Amino acid sequence: MKKHIPLICLCFIALLLTSCGFGGKGEFKADKEIAVFSREDGSGTRTAFTEIFNIVEMGENGTRKDRTTKEAVIAKQTDVLMSGIASDRYSIGYLSLGSVNKTIKLISIDGVYPTAETVKNGTYAVSRPFIIVTKKEISPATQDFINFMLSKEGQAVAAESYISAVDNAPEFNSSMPSGKVVVAGSSSVTPVMEKLKEAYIEINPNAIIEIQLSDSSSGIQGVIDGTCDIGMSSRHLKDSEKAVLDQHTIALDGIAIVVNKNNPINNLSSEQVKAVFKGEITRWRELIEQG
Amino acid sequence: MNKAKEKIMSIVFLIAALTSIFAVALICLFLIVNGIPAMAKIGLFDFLLGKEWAPSDVPAEYGILPMILGSLYVTAGAVLIGVPIGILSAVFLAFVCPKKLYKKVKPAVDLLAGVPSVVYGFFGMAVLVPITGYSMLTASLLLGIMILPTVIGLAESALRAVPTQYYEGSLALGAGHYKSVFSVVLPAAKSGLLAAVVLGIGRAIGETMAVIMVAGNQARIPHSLFKGVRTLTANIVIEMGYASELHRDALIATGVVLFVFILIINLSFSALKRRSDK
Repeated sequence: MKKHIPLICLCFIALLLTSCGFGGKGEFKADKEIAVFSREDGSGTRTAFTEIFNIVEMGENGTRKDRTTKEAVIAKQTDVLMSGIASDRYSIGYLSLGSVNKTIKLISIDGVYPTAETVKNGTYAVSRPFIIVTKKEISPATQDFINFMLSKEGQAVAAESYISAVDNAPEFNSSMPSGKVVVAGSSSVTPVMEKLKEAYIEINPNAIIEIQLSDSSSGIQGVIDGTCDIGMSSRHLKDSEKAVLDQHTIALDGIAIVVNKNNPINNLSSEQVKAVFKGEITRWRELIEQG
Repeated sequence: MNKAKEKIMSIVFLIAALTSIFAVALICLFLIVNGIPAMAKIGLFDFLLGKEWAPSDVPAEYGILPMILGSLYVTAGAVLIGVPIGILSAVFLAFVCPKKLYKKVKPAVDLLAGVPSVVYGFFGMAVLVPITGYSMLTASLLLGIMILPTVIGLAESALRAVPTQYYEGSLALGAGHYKSVFSVVLPAAKSGLLAAVVLGIGRAIGETMAVIMVAGNQARIPHSLFKGVRTLTANIVIEMGYASELHRDALIATGVVLFVFILIINLSFSALKRRSDK
């Protein structure tokens, strides 16, 4: 008997894998539980999302309580979240409109579909600022790059995927400084920063722009520590940070609510989104019947 | 001249040996300096036994009990899956496997040890998660596979270290091949096998990347095999990027707890090893 044990173990595992593997196919079952995907505590996207939908409760004496359901799967990065949503047909999540790709489905909120256009004209209300921070004293190259970002040309680049933050921006006149500028921080801001860099280098080939992807706090801390010149943040600064840093808003971003491609839902009210992410609605049926 | 050379070389060796000790000391110092004040500030019991982890709330809550339990459950699951398969594999390699096959199986096991954990994570995400979801079960399965090379390697050498007279004596008394292996050799290699299990536990509890990718990472008391779980390692890696001030120190304090766990595991490993060497 004992010599069969490994064999039995193997058979058991094989059985387990195959029997479950064929259960996932077929129609969208509305009775299924909603798989809520969220981002980690402290993420700029999460902070913005929970504040916009009032999932965070602000108390009278400065208290703050994030009511996101404890059952939410926490994805550390935007792409991890996207692949999670793409592979789980009963999932729902949120991410920056600029980083959405074709593997997942966007849904309208209160009847407004998220596009650069609707974020720009304010009808799509789920949005947040993209901020750059620097020390109070900066190098000529850094200053020139920032001037570019806030200029008409720079804002046009930002407006390709986001909404521009500066109205009536001035035309850009480079002082053509040479030098290296290190930009670090939020992975949400990075895509637009890459585009800004490309456009700027064409105007001023003397400068070297290096972009490091991490997250908002690392970027801000990097500026304070002097390891980078410009920090990218998708969250507002804390008071302790504001005291020592300068900040500029370079763009606005919409936050998209996304579901799996096989999900029949096209629209949710902001009340429904709130209830789902607070864990008050747990089955798809409840949303489909209401919708 | 030669004497001077030897003297110099012995100093070089001493420095080389001290480097790793220095590194360990530095890490301990870093953990203590950053982690202990945070624990004191949060309150040791609130920190270790608190059920709520909500660092962005005001007032913030820093209870890591969910993560401690998460780490323990996932590791226990990995041991339940990995240890039986690992020890039976070791028995196979040491007593059953024909030489020709051994030359193929052994490198395959070693290769398993060399696979980067992020690759395990991708495997888990692409193959296991669609079946078992982001859950404790998935994390345990994946970790069970990941600890196999550790368990197999150590268990095999423990089995081979048992004097052949034991096995032969058992045969001479009329016991069969498997009876001898399972009733005589395995018990004789007990502490070596335990050491293999302990090191497997150490590998499982310290694993980070692969677990983050499949476990779901919910910071609440784990309550079901089919629901997500967050481990101590995951807690640190996931939030370190956004953490500042007390939150950051609380994560380092989480590292202190993990460090204590690893310390206990390593101490019991060396205790077991000493016993098996006797």
